[in-house]
Amino acid sequence: MRDYIYDGTFEGLLTCVYHHYYTDRANGIFTKDNYQANMFCSYMEVETDPAKAQRVYDAIQNKISDYDLRSVYRAFLSSIPGKEMIILKYIVFGFRKGSSVSSLHGNPIVNDFQAILKKVSVETERMLQFVRFSVMEGDVLYAEIEPDHDVLELIHTHFCDRFKNEPFIIRDVGRDKAMIAYQKHWYISSFDDDMIPAISSEEADYRSLWKTFFDNIAIKERKNSRCQRQFMPERYWKHLTEMTLY
Amino acid sequence: MEEIIMQKLKILADSAKYDVSCSSSGASRHNNGRMGNAHAAGICHSWGSDGRCISLLKVLFTNKCEYDCEYCINRRSNDFPRAAFEPDELARLTVEFYRRNYIEGLFLSSAVEISPDHTAEKILQCLELLRYKYGFAGYIHAKIIPGVSQEILHRIGLVADRLSVNIEMPSSKSLQELAPQKKPKQIFAPMRQITNTLIEHNSLVGPGTMFKGQQLNTPEHYLSGPETGFAKPVHQKAGGPKDSRDFRAPRGMFSLPEMWEQESIQLPAQKKGSFAAAGQTTQMIIGAGGESDKSILTTSENLYRAFKMKRVYYSAYIPLIKSPKLPDIHTQVPLAREHRIYQADWLLRFYGFTVSELFQDGSTDLDPDLDPKVTWAIRNLDYFPLEVNTASYEQLMRIPGIGDRSAKRILRQRRYSAVRFDDLKKIGVVIKRAKYFILCCGRYYGDRKFEPEVIRSSILQMESGLQMSMFDTSGAPSIETSQESQDVGRLAI
Repeated sequence: MRDYIYDGTFEGLLTCVYHHYYTDRANGIFTKDNYQANMFCSYMEVETDPAKAQRVYDAIQNKISDYDLRSVYRAFLSSIPGKEMIILKYIVFGFRKGSSVSSLHGNPIVNDFQAILKKVSVETERMLQFVRFSVMEGDVLYAEIEPDHDVLELIHTHFCDRFKNEPFIIRDVGRDKAMIAYQKHWYISSFDDDMIPAISSEEADYRSLWKTFFDNIAIKERKNSRCQRQFMPERYWKHLTEMTLY
Repeated sequence: MEEIIMQKLKILADSAKYDVSCSSSGASRHNNGRMGNAHAAGICHSWGSDGRCISLLKVLFTNKCEYDCEYCINRRSNDFPRAAFEPDELARLTVEFYRRNYIEGLFLSSAVEISPDHTAEKILQCLELLRYKYGFAGYIHAKIIPGVSQEILHRIGLVADRLSVNIEMPSSKSLQELAPQKKPKQIFAPMRQITNTLIEHNSLVGPGTMFKGQQLNTPEHYLSGPETGFAKPVHQKAGGPKDSRDFRAPRGMFSLPEMWEQESIQLPAQKKGSFAAAGQTTQMIIGAGGESDKSILTTSENLYRAFKMKRVYYSAYIPLIKSPKLPDIHTQVPLAREHRIYQADWLLRFYGFTVSELFQDGSTDLDPDLDPKVTWAIRNLDYFPLEVNTASYEQLMRIPGIGDRSAKRILRQRRYSAVRFDDLKKIGVVIKRAKYFILCCGRYYGDRKFEPEVIRSSILQMESGLQMSMFDTSGAPSIETSQESQDVGRLAI
């Protein structure tokens, strides 16, 4: 048993799974910055190896299922501390149970794994709701988001279809990267402030029109801030036009 | 220019806010080279300070009204700021909001200016501009004004995803009293036309899971009229369903007017092109007339069974207008009642319940203290406890604290291993409610005697404890509590 330190990439994590089987069983899997050495357990720095990662990737696809392979990747995109071991345990258990593993909701390993998955899908859905574009010069759409989990690439299908004929940029402020897309082609690249296009002259007017609508559509006799907060948690407000404009 | 639009938007959003529906679900469409698409499950983009979701740009086309309905703020005799959009102005506003991802589309209703047809033509003009000039492929919900001509209704249906005709009141009596210019005939004729056209387009789906697996697009479901959906006195045989374990509604359990049992009609050839693919809905006001919960829900059931509506929306009457015909202006808004009615409505559409089952003890109103599913379960204790490892999907759906998601998860897990009591919570069952009504691997987990009064008081105690903790700000709510309140929010009961 030993602790694994990996580079934080998906291939890195899959390489850890490989070593769990062929080198030594994993006691914990960490990235370099959140690992604290302890005296009870030795550690090993895992060098990401595409060939080893590919073997694990294929094994998950063939021995568990395609669905679970995608779930594993989605769980990996979460920012839950300790996600690596939860994923590892799920993969190990999945190799034993095969494709039925995702139906065993009562099993603690499956339950922990599906709890992370749920967090990721809830936030993915929230991004479809809460992305607010601004129309910039040259009709480019630009939005800033700050999701807890790294869901940027999970929302491309929706937005690339919806705004197929408009160039758009969705920037994850916390992770300094952005999805840049036009006509169904998209890529993710690093992004910083000086790359933001200039704002169009009409933008301010439409923002205040939206705010006007937002304020007038509520029935004041039915005020219910608790319900509003429950569906639209405050941590997302800073990028919502209607909640920041006064 | 922007000033004027701002003013109009303010007035016409304010006038539209009492329309309940804001759902953008039921239509699924990929971008076909224009702007936008439709997401089958619908997307809410924001929540207003009243906690209601904002999915569509919900406005009236105009609030200048010829009618004088007692309960309506837009009635002619009310001194109120008036405005009207220009068709192009509103189409452009919709597109600009849509591309900023503020909304899923447009919900367009209107007051009756000059005549129903005059107003409907303006609405049509706006929607056609939106679809054809701006190439908008997002969601459109159009309100149909009673009395509109068949031709215009049809053309609106060709550009809209969802249509709705407001029934306004749960009975013809209160409609006559409070909205004398709206006639039942004028309300049900367009509803019928919509249902029939949906059948012709092979796209009638029906509410929730009520008609799951049944073919609705057949001549038998064609409506010839002149029926109405209002609750009729129910000619039900005494004693209700013979076997309380058989919950499928026997035929004729609620009586359809004889006109519905018409001879078969030849359907025209299947038509191409989409017509209001997300179906039709309607809305009624709760607490303005004197109807009981039972007659409200019977009307809904008729609308679901006969017109196969996707949904009936309810809106608690907010007393804003002084009138001898209406509740006093200081009356409390019946929000709790509206909530119970919605819960019962869910039971009709998704849980296989019928109205007569919900009122089987002869009462005419729902129990204000307990949700209707718990009330039903307590009255039918001989049906319980159910063993979760052998119960069918329909039986599981009858258990308080189990919904569609958890029932399906139980069934899925059962294929590979037994469901133990500890698993139920992980599966998402609300144990606090379910434990009184289940056996798990042969064991009963309710805390005391298996008797109606005992269970009722335990659940009441639990619910009131929950209420306390929901409003208790001193400590963070436990995970269980937040799960519970989410359930309430989503009306998954």
